[in-house]
Amino acid sequence: MALLEVKGVQVKFNGFLALRGLDLKIEAGELRCLIGPNGAGKTTALDVICGKARPSVGEIVFDGHKTSRLDEHRIARLGVGRKFQVPSVFRELTVRENLDVAQSKTAGVFRNLGPRKRHDPALQRLAEFVGLADERDEPAGNLSHGQTQWLEIAMLMAQDSRLILLDEPTAGMTAAETRKTAELCRRLKGQHSLIVVEHDMGFIREIGDVISVMHQGRLLAQGTVAEIEVDPLVKEAYLGSGGISHA
Amino acid sequence: MRQLLLSRAWIAGYALLAIAILAVPVAIDDPYLLNKFARYLIFATLAVALSLSWGYTGILNLGQAVSFGLGSYCMAMALKLKTMPIQTGTGGLPDFMVWNNVPSLPWFWQPFHSIGVAIAAGIAVPVGLALILGWFIFRARVAGVYVSIITLALLVIINLLIIDQQRFTGGFNGLTDLSDLQVMGIDFDPYSAATYYLAAGALILSLIVGLAIINSKTGLIMQAIRDDETRVRYFGYDVAAYQIFALSVSAGISGVAGMLYAVVMAFASPTFLSVQLSLSIVIWCAVGGRASLIGAAIGALLVTGIQGSLSETPIFLNTWLLIMGALFVAVVLLLPKGLISLVQSAITLFSRPVADRTATPVNKTMVG
Repeated sequence: MALLEVKGVQVKFNGFLALRGLDLKIEAGELRCLIGPNGAGKTTALDVICGKARPSVGEIVFDGHKTSRLDEHRIARLGVGRKFQVPSVFRELTVRENLDVAQSKTAGVFRNLGPRKRHDPALQRLAEFVGLADERDEPAGNLSHGQTQWLEIAMLMAQDSRLILLDEPTAGMTAAETRKTAELCRRLKGQHSLIVVEHDMGFIREIGDVISVMHQGRLLAQGTVAEIEVDPLVKEAYLGSGGISHA
Repeated sequence: MRQLLLSRAWIAGYALLAIAILAVPVAIDDPYLLNKFARYLIFATLAVALSLSWGYTGILNLGQAVSFGLGSYCMAMALKLKTMPIQTGTGGLPDFMVWNNVPSLPWFWQPFHSIGVAIAAGIAVPVGLALILGWFIFRARVAGVYVSIITLALLVIINLLIIDQQRFTGGFNGLTDLSDLQVMGIDFDPYSAATYYLAAGALILSLIVGLAIINSKTGLIMQAIRDDETRVRYFGYDVAAYQIFALSVSAGISGVAGMLYAVVMAFASPTFLSVQLSLSIVIWCAVGGRASLIGAAIGALLVTGIQGSLSETPIFLNTWLLIMGALFVAVVLLLPKGLISLVQSAITLFSRPVADRTATPVNKTMVG
């Protein structure tokens, strides 16, 4: 059985249908790219999976649990992690503290009342991995935009979710950083399942196995990069924006 | 290394404050002053409580005086019943009940014959109320200024309720003519060193409890919630549970402070549940530094201390409120993180390697 199944999901915002019957299946360990023209409902698709948006019709099953009615933190506890489009870290906390919050193996108020571990080698390695070892005692609010992106990626790794939802992870990154992110995605694949929403086709070519193309709140096409690029339906959807390769 | 130095500097700061507080009765032998200082310590305890909910969790509770007032009434009810043989009419009723034609002691007064029950209630009632209130507002995801409005409204309602139910609460006058608190053979006369030490003990204990919480992972999550509560949710934490916890601990500490205030003042009145007191606590925290327990405590001691001495000096009799207002505005404008941010900057500067110190001026402050 698939790790995640989105079945005929419809999401309504004040009468506007952001998703109109989306179907999606993600297997354990799979890396899936989600693309589509502006307004296709890619971010809403991630929102509805992590509980930020609620389906009015349809249902979402994650690892055998119906999540459509669960609180966000319960969905997260089942193993769904999310990186938002706008980097959101805890600005007044240090890099190390941000990672500590993200590492949410125990979530209860009273279970967390013991003295805090000051030096966690696993978190230290993570900070080194994303190049923030020297900034670990710095408040996250002092980091540059790129560093903030990396901190959030490190936080997702600390959270260690089975399904990771990435919304435009390379936005505002340099070419070198984008390559590093692609490499990271490939590394996470296998142990984790990933859904990556991205516009950068170069990035998608580098990481992509299967690509799902969304259009007007529905799944339009699905396949490898080569298959998608020649799909007449996809070409039509992107018409006017210069085709998929220039999106 | 730097972290170690930093934490050592803070431990030294807390120890210094504790020693200073405990040394006061050795230096001062004036019962009136001791009583006054005991009151300041109780206010500092209240500020520590608000710092936990406001400074660390981002919950600006404008109804902090509810917990304080309920605590003070719980203690006052017990002490009132202890004064019975002298103060009350036939059948062992408190005097104001006799005046209000109450035939017999109401059921909810009965348990307060026991001082142990009263002390338990002085904590349990505020905590219980915070649990119920917190459950409703935080489960419904009420946030920001709306939390302040709701807590302020609750304060006004409970205040009116106490004034209105004169038969059972003494109304405007409150509960007066209280006996001294007597526990384990010690008589806590409001003007004694014993009572002062009780207040000092409560403040130090609240600082220790507060420090234990903020240095735990729970405390870290509370601070993360203050920064961005939505983000915390997607890491799998039940944000409402953490908020309810912070509000309840804060209410419990305030309840203890309220009980001690009834002992120190030898009465309890609706003014203990006033909007004015609630706002004062906010000012103490803002002046001292709301995101620092010791900052909030020092803020309360400073503000109430200056207020006390100014209002008792003949020259400032008419202007002391104005001076206090100006001081408050100055601190909030110039030091938005409170007076403690001066100390934080200094510690950060000196805990840095010397070469580093000259290279980068202090703009990466606020670590403590």
